[in-house]
Amino acid sequence: MSSRLLCASPAVFLALALHASSTDANAADASARAQFAELHALIKPRVAEQKWEQIPWLTSLWEARQKAAREGKPILLWEMDGHPLGCT
Amino acid sequence: MAREDFIAVAADDWYQRRRQDAEGRFFLGVAEQGPRKGAGGSTRQGIYALTAAGKLLAYRNAGQNPDVMREVITDAHRTWKSLPESERKPGTVQIGDHGPVDARFTRMPPENGLIVRVSARLLDRGADGGFKDAACETGRGDEASRDHLWITEAEWKSLVPASPRAGGKVPVPVGLAARIARFHLVDHTRGEPNFWSAEEVRLNQLSLIMEEVGPTRITFRVEGAVLLTTDADFAKAQRGFDARVSGWLEFDRERKAFTRFDLVAVGDHWGRGTYTGPARPGRTPLGLAFELTEGKSPAERVAPQAARDVSGYFAAGPRN
Repeated sequence: MSSRLLCASPAVFLALALHASSTDANAADASARAQFAELHALIKPRVAEQKWEQIPWLTSLWEARQKAAREGKPILLWEMDGHPLGCT
Repeated sequence: MAREDFIAVAADDWYQRRRQDAEGRFFLGVAEQGPRKGAGGSTRQGIYALTAAGKLLAYRNAGQNPDVMREVITDAHRTWKSLPESERKPGTVQIGDHGPVDARFTRMPPENGLIVRVSARLLDRGADGGFKDAACETGRGDEASRDHLWITEAEWKSLVPASPRAGGKVPVPVGLAARIARFHLVDHTRGEPNFWSAEEVRLNQLSLIMEEVGPTRITFRVEGAVLLTTDADFAKAQRGFDARVSGWLEFDRERKAFTRFDLVAVGDHWGRGTYTGPARPGRTPLGLAFELTEGKSPAERVAPQAARDVSGYFAAGPRN
């Protein structure tokens, strides 16, 4: 095997080197993508932090009035400085 | 109970107490029945239970305390049940159209634009040099907080070259890069954050590289770094964020739409904001994650916090 390689033309060595380099780059790229995905998932809200989304919050008090009158229900209004469903 | 027995609605008091239209007048009429009458234009925030006709059933200023929220709901439901049926029966109360809306205090996502959810989380460094959840003793500060980034149709279209080629770089519109840095690379984990002024953006490098260009899809890699400090002298700055930005975007060439807008900004943050009490001492890791949403639910369409000054939000260039 080694003797055959020693006899190989410079073009073959170049091709092998490029292949190895490409393989390394692909591995590095896959690793970077995996690290990114891991970090992205770490920062994003977890399922347990999003239980509030199980409530069908409206964002228009007027629309809530209309729905409440139609359905015969009271209104629960969560009012904050900074939107409770956004940045507060 | 909130889901079954109430019509739940959430609102930003900053807009509600200012708007001069039917909804604003209705809300003020309800708030006036409670203890928080907003003297001098101050906040009326809290948890309200009310009837469609505008009768206040219960009120507490509870912040995000789930136990207090539960108490308010239980008390309010009891009061509701004690009302005569004529006030409760479906269809008894008639609510007409809203009428003209006070556009100064109403925000809608840009037409055909992108809505990107931005989550922030306090982090710690692990023994392996990576990041992990932070242990935070302040309230529920170890949970992710949220906001939204709005991107206009013209801005996202400008990210897609007419003749894309792998390895090519795409310039990010200056206004978009500035908007991300000034209004979205902020610590909102403890409440309403301070934003960065144009002068406080010391470094804002954002590169968009076309990683893969196929017949149906273009994949972009994002690399960048920001340095945001309240003082030009890094060591003297009372508040700052020194972060690296990375990410992946995907554009569907057939649908002519972005299908992925994943970014992460992570680095050391320090300092407290005007309304955000005790911060962790020293310079500690903060992470922000960006992710595209469909914008279908009312919650996904909530305006960015910084869009209270909506013209400033969309014109956030370096000198604005």
